[in-house]
Amino acid sequence: MQVPAETADPAAAGAGAPAAGRITPRGPVGPARGTVLLAAGTALLAAAVLTSLAVGAHQLGPAEVAASLWAELNGTGSSYADDVVASRIPRTVLGIMAGAALALAGVIMQGLTRNPLADPGILGINAGAAAAVVTGMAFFGVGATGANVWIALPGAVLTVLVVYGLASGRRGSSPVRLVLAGTVMSAVLMSYIQAIALTRPDVFSLYRFWAVGSLSGRTLEQARDILPFFLVGLVAALATGRSLNALALGEQAAASLGVRPQAAKITGALAATLLCASATAAVGPIGFVGLAVPHIVRSLTGPDHRWLLILSLLAGPSLLLFADVLGRLVARPGEVLTGVVTALLGAPLLILAVRRMRAVA
Amino acid sequence: MSPVRNPPAVSTLRWGRKLSFRYRRRSLVLSILLAAAVTLVGAFTLTAGQLGLDWQELFALAVSPPEGSAAFVLERLRGPRFLTAVGAGMALGVAGSLFQTVTRNPLGSPEVVGLTSGAAAGAAATALWPGYVPVPVAAILGGGLAVVLVWLSTGRGFARPGRMIVAGIGISAVASALTSLAMTTLGEQQAQTLAFYLNGSLASRSWSHAATIGLALLVVLPLAAALQRRLNLVAMGDELAESLGVRVDRTRTLAVILAVVLAATAVSVCGPVAFVALVAPQIALRLLRTSAPGVVAPALVGALVLILSDFAVQHIEFGAASLPVGIFTAALGSAYLGYLLFAEARKGRL
Repeated sequence: MQVPAETADPAAAGAGAPAAGRITPRGPVGPARGTVLLAAGTALLAAAVLTSLAVGAHQLGPAEVAASLWAELNGTGSSYADDVVASRIPRTVLGIMAGAALALAGVIMQGLTRNPLADPGILGINAGAAAAVVTGMAFFGVGATGANVWIALPGAVLTVLVVYGLASGRRGSSPVRLVLAGTVMSAVLMSYIQAIALTRPDVFSLYRFWAVGSLSGRTLEQARDILPFFLVGLVAALATGRSLNALALGEQAAASLGVRPQAAKITGALAATLLCASATAAVGPIGFVGLAVPHIVRSLTGPDHRWLLILSLLAGPSLLLFADVLGRLVARPGEVLTGVVTALLGAPLLILAVRRMRAVA
Repeated sequence: MSPVRNPPAVSTLRWGRKLSFRYRRRSLVLSILLAAAVTLVGAFTLTAGQLGLDWQELFALAVSPPEGSAAFVLERLRGPRFLTAVGAGMALGVAGSLFQTVTRNPLGSPEVVGLTSGAAAGAAATALWPGYVPVPVAAILGGGLAVVLVWLSTGRGFARPGRMIVAGIGISAVASALTSLAMTTLGEQQAQTLAFYLNGSLASRSWSHAATIGLALLVVLPLAAALQRRLNLVAMGDELAESLGVRVDRTRTLAVILAVVLAATAVSVCGPVAFVALVAPQIALRLLRTSAPGVVAPALVGALVLILSDFAVQHIEFGAASLPVGIFTAALGSAYLGYLLFAEARKGRL
């Protein structure tokens, strides 16, 4: 029996579509609604993982996927279906990690900067990672994949430190200044990247594929390389929930609630940097997941950052995996790179959000 | 926008009883200085480098048409390139000024309302499906479409800066996604050519480029100047302008149309050159010390920024190939944004 993507997809779309329609947050989440949302999120993620393993140039049924996965785990995979599933495991694993990382980073940045438009691109993280990768390609003979983590990560961290340094004046760092400093830094780095890419054809040919961001052609080694950074970032991110809630009330209120604003900001920025730098290092700069997921989730949970973080952890990977599957489906037997699909999906959503939001007007 | 620091020194020229012309002494002096600077840089671009004219040949041009190698350099190499740069710089400067006045936002620029990335996507589309539409036409269509989509997406036109910026980000992202789709599906050589175009280049321009942008300026600049007074009133607030008899929405729409025509034509002759439209009006504001940059000063500043940048990329050695001018303007523009950031931060306004 074939019960694959076609049935899973509408379910996902159905879960996402009404969320986009209601951007105005509801009241706080109670335990009952929280449980329902958690269950729904988990189911969505499971469906996304299954679809990601089953759908592509060669379609498989859920039973076949389960059997092949089992065979893979026992090291006895031998059939064609087993090979197909095995080849889709790395991109699925990296999709889960990158989706979770980008979504959590988005929640934290939007919370820290109190700016609903903040996303991993804004602090200059993507540009920093990209500049480092391009430098590696141009001057140190690094290929498009492989050792990228060790180049992209320090690049991103360094950039964030510079942006943070630029943005913090005598009166601490304001959200607007942070965003502006990030934008300026990104622009400077982007012109550096373009200058290199346009004068070095060899770099250009590698960079143009890396720059879009894609889950295809990934290996489990890459997932393993970023795992430590990802895990540290994940733990730090999940720990920021309470302090983000306090910071949302303003720094003085946060301080009076026993949260040290500066410490909370540093933890948050560190977590966000680790998360999206490791995601970018592994799969390239994928846009809009970090921006869109927090918005969608917030429309379901309201402003409580603890729920936001937990549910984004489920929704981010789901969105990224479904986008990846969609990219495989529309251009069979070839595929559209994941970064292109997330932008095409995320942008209309963002605009829908704008039309309904009053705060940013 | 920066506040008025001094009371403006306004003078009036009169011819007889009916014809009068009000001007600020500062803007007049400034315009003359800027125009002189453009001319001077122009002379330098014509004389610099191996193939440059020498100064005698340059002065001889005032008397008689050029001959021999001088004619070749002037008519093929440097002349059209320089004039295209001046025209595109003026167009971008004025377009930026119009956008910034309409949106009451110093970040209002063709980049922000999606025009630039839309134009890029249009150009990318012609690379994917070559032969149907010429690249410049596709760029204009793409840019226009993007602006219309941003306009529709905000729900209330360009009146709300916050919404405009978000919608601009969204539409730009879609357009960039389409562009990167093209970049990854094209062959190596084609992709490289496209990348050069997308960064804005003034290399090997012909007289038809210069004529195109010249014509657009000839038509649009007088209209923009005529609109300026009403636009300045709109900048003071919709209700005030309305009460003074200005039809706000119509004025805004007209200004946006003029700005789009200018910016799109500029894109069609030299690709999407970054940041000139954003920076030129801001520099003009600071030089003029007024609340509205108007038309003349941003045009001249825009031209100056672009020809200086083009001069730089022509004479700075950077790796194997020469750089497209847009990379240089992007670097300049971001440095300027950075300066702006610190200036505002020092004054405690951010």
